Amino acid sequence: MHHPIWIIFKSEFLRRVRSKAFILATLLAPVGMVALFALPAVFTFMALDGSDDEPIAVVDESNRLLPSLQARGGERFRFVEATASREALADSVHAGVYSGYLVLPETLLQGEGQAVFYRAEGGGVTTQARMQSLVNQTVQDQRLADEEVPAAIESILASSTSVEMRRLTEAGDQADQTFVYSLIGYVLAFTIYFAVFIYGQYVMQGVIEEKSSRVVEIVVSSVRPFQLLMGKVLGIGAMGLVQMITWGVLVAGALAAAGPVLMLFIDPASYNVAPDASQEAVLDAAGITIPSLPLSLLFWTLLFFLGGYLLYASLFAAVGSAVERVQDAQSLMYPVFIPLLIPLLVLGVVIEDPNGTLSTVLSFIPLFAPILMVLRAALTDVATWELIASWSLVALSFVATIWIASRIYRVGIFMYGKPPSLRELLRWITYRP
Amino acid sequence: MATLIVDHVHKTYGDTKAVNDVSFTAEPGRILGVLGPNGAGKTSTIRMITNMTIPDAGSVTYDGRTVGPWSQRRLGYLPEERGLYKDLRVREQLVYLGQLKGMHQKEAEARTQHWLERFEAAGWGDMKTDELSKGMQQKVQFIATLLHDPSLLIFDEPFSGLDPINSDLLRDIILELRRDDRTILFASHRMEQVEQLCDDICLMAKGQVVLEGALREIKQQFGKNTIIVGFEGDDAFLDQLEAAGAVRIHTRSTHRAEMRLLNGTSPRAVLNATLEAVDELHHFERVEPPLSEIFVDVVGRTQSEERTSVAA
Repeated sequence: MHHPIWIIFKSEFLRRVRSKAFILATLLAPVGMVALFALPAVFTFMALDGSDDEPIAVVDESNRLLPSLQARGGERFRFVEATASREALADSVHAGVYSGYLVLPETLLQGEGQAVFYRAEGGGVTTQARMQSLVNQTVQDQRLADEEVPAAIESILASSTSVEMRRLTEAGDQADQTFVYSLIGYVLAFTIYFAVFIYGQYVMQGVIEEKSSRVVEIVVSSVRPFQLLMGKVLGIGAMGLVQMITWGVLVAGALAAAGPVLMLFIDPASYNVAPDASQEAVLDAAGITIPSLPLSLLFWTLLFFLGGYLLYASLFAAVGSAVERVQDAQSLMYPVFIPLLIPLLVLGVVIEDPNGTLSTVLSFIPLFAPILMVLRAALTDVATWELIASWSLVALSFVATIWIASRIYRVGIFMYGKPPSLRELLRWITYRP
Repeated sequence: MATLIVDHVHKTYGDTKAVNDVSFTAEPGRILGVLGPNGAGKTSTIRMITNMTIPDAGSVTYDGRTVGPWSQRRLGYLPEERGLYKDLRVREQLVYLGQLKGMHQKEAEARTQHWLERFEAAGWGDMKTDELSKGMQQKVQFIATLLHDPSLLIFDEPFSGLDPINSDLLRDIILELRRDDRTILFASHRMEQVEQLCDDICLMAKGQVVLEGALREIKQQFGKNTIIVGFEGDDAFLDQLEAAGAVRIHTRSTHRAEMRLLNGTSPRAVLNATLEAVDELHHFERVEPPLSEIFVDVVGRTQSEERTSVAA
């Protein structure tokens, strides 16, 4: 004979996992996320790649700037010499012959005055910046040439110095990927937040449905309320874990596939890399870093997700047991919702100084730890004992919250009518069953 | 089969004393009706019997042992407010509820099939519960109560909301369960249903038992103090009888009246008054009072006693 918690766990898990909604959400959510991030970039890229734009007429009063401007403009900005009057040019722009016309006064070469670009349509932040830089570079080069500045000085002016960040580790120094890891930490922190919140809501809704359909009366005439609560929380947690692991595998697969796929679009020659260079070398030369997620980080992310979920889910269940409709739960939700939100408010602080006192202390507070400890672990090397200690505190707190929650729950499921105040809810903890 | 004993049980919720020193016994092979108006403490008492709550004082024993998870497995409970998991399929739902009662999956599946067939519902097994009509859901609910072959059955307001076909079905089930010597408890505020089905009654009011015993004995104890008349003609004589303080009329329609004799009025006096007034008399009977009258009597008495003690 099986234990009631196991029977409830199995039923809660199976009835959710095999639903169409779950399968679709699990498979489509990553596609949706990628689309959300990738599509704007793709669209911007397509908009910039407007080589079919109309040419730009240039009124070059100096008569010396146009050729080098044309050379610089390339395919993207096609500059042509203006042959008509200004009025006629304006008409041509309106008629769509030119996308605009650019006036370069002769005084530019004396370092005075400014160029003016006339066009019919506004918009295009990137276009503005590119135009600005094209004209600036062209004028600067021409003036340097006019002054017969030595080539050495010209190259000094053209150069810019960059700083490479490297991180010292026990294994020697390596490329510092703070930015990449901040991004990873950010994504992981938000993933845990949303996962805890959404799966917690599932638990709450499950409890409310059971109560408002009154089927709970039959169930608790068969098993202890605690067993029902525990089976439900664990069953939905297992569903969440399946979903998270599926997504993790999909992301890992996508990252593994990203390199070879990108290679198809990159011509090694254009980055001065040998055609037979390794994938890393080419991508590195192209300035593309494909983040690699350490397995231990994924492991701890899953563990902290699980801990955080259990901690909060039991509280969501307690709130759910007190009401008959989801809407009535709103006011009782704040004590659960606010601790979950606080870590998000300090994300910036932790990213800036992951080993600072505030970050360290916050990452040991059980209600915040699931989000903040994972963020810290992504950003910096957190000692294993710290991870274990913080997670153990989360686990211990779960024992406390499930105890409190089950005491509220076993009273709440029999309470119908007006939803209780928070004060009443807390008083239920002291009730005898 | 075994006896259920509720022994000096108390239960308080906050400031409300829901159950105050309640005792009664339910014997196997008999149906005990627990009666009382809403708020009398019936459901609170049932929750202690089902081990959903625990008495503050006193004890509930079944088969000689205090109730607990072990007795829950032998218990079939049809709650007043009924409900099922809406999005589970019927078969799956029943098998799950059966497993919660400690049945093995195979056993639960076989019993589910048996009962679905018996209720001519085998075709619904793969339907979602909320696709069923209300009457069909009620049948599924009965099956959930009986699936694990319980020896102790509790029906809380079992007929409320049932369509006539399911009412008859449930009545047949309850009588069949009684023949099998099971212990059956039936809570209701509908007196006429209790009169039809119960062997024993336990009247509750304000958290206390005000009357307990075998239904027949209780009725005899109150004597044949009730008259039923059926007639054709003017019914004004009924008002005169009542105005004179000779009777109190419980139910009255154009051609029929049921009344209680008061102040030593003899049945014959009522017969004479009736014959004088009506065109035709076709029914005259002296009977025991209906349970609803006994209830009003007993509860009215306790309430007035209470009022006196408060005044004192």
